[in-house]
Amino acid sequence: MQDSLDAGGETPDSRTNPLIRKLESLAQLSGEDKAVLERISANPQIVATGTDLIRVGDKPDGVYLIMDGMACRYTLRANGTRQIMAYLIPGDYCDLDVALLERMDHSISTLSTCSVVRIDLNTIQELLRQHPAITHALRLATLVDEATLREWVVNLGRRSAEERIAHLMCELLLRLRAVGRATNDSYALPVTQEDLADTTGLTTVHVSRMLASLRQRNLIELSGRRLKILDLAGLEALAEFKSDYLHLGGRKAA
Amino acid sequence: MNLWFQPVQVATGSPDQESQLVFHDGFLVAVLVRLSSFHEVGTGKWFLEVGFGRVADPNPPLFSDLEDAKIWIRQQLGEGH
Repeated sequence: MQDSLDAGGETPDSRTNPLIRKLESLAQLSGEDKAVLERISANPQIVATGTDLIRVGDKPDGVYLIMDGMACRYTLRANGTRQIMAYLIPGDYCDLDVALLERMDHSISTLSTCSVVRIDLNTIQELLRQHPAITHALRLATLVDEATLREWVVNLGRRSAEERIAHLMCELLLRLRAVGRATNDSYALPVTQEDLADTTGLTTVHVSRMLASLRQRNLIELSGRRLKILDLAGLEALAEFKSDYLHLGGRKAA
Repeated sequence: MNLWFQPVQVATGSPDQESQLVFHDGFLVAVLVRLSSFHEVGTGKWFLEVGFGRVADPNPPLFSDLEDAKIWIRQQLGEGH
């Protein structure tokens, strides 16, 4: 019975749907769960690069789900300098419990052209009430987001410029791979050197130097907006990257 | 106000080598490095590699020439003209 249900939910869309792929890596979902997720992530809108989905001070009006492209959480200082605190990749969304907040304490903006779905807060509440497996997966995903943020704090405070960038590249590979958006050790990295600088707390001059250095050591290849990791073991060793915090493939065999 | 430069080479681990030490009243206050051609932007401009004391800044601008850098450093030192 379970098998036939699962088979029923296993449409071509659910195999490529990044939200389903992400949540399935965290919890076992039934065919019905997947069908619901497919429904709420249908009909994404195309949003141009550099568009704020929600701004600091706004009252949250829904949960924004990224289906394609890359977005970020950021904050601006009074002098205009920006710190990026998280990357949202396909399957990621801004906080589930955002409805509990009166006002956003940071902004979310697209770093590339994105496909975005805005999920109504009522829909989210209903989802949480009626689908315990999805709720479980979403809670685990929140823990992973927090663990990732902790790792980014370590990056900013205790890693060298080159290690910061190497660490970010390793992390993105695994995250994108988990949602089917990496080919071998290669993925689209649609961010500018300025975005990388604002992510890693460096100047664009240092980012430019570090990218050149990683290329020179034959660790990476960057052409256009595509990154190819040539020596993953080498890059991970340089960054002291350990993927545990991403809890990928952590789902126990049912 | 006494601000002067001394040309040096800095080992930045990149082709950016041409550099200037900047002294104020006998104290080293900054190291400026000229950006070489491998950068996507800013080639030929001067970059604040490091600033000491009030000249330290995590988000420094690029300077089109040393005169430009001098004005900014003076401002940082609180001696703007």
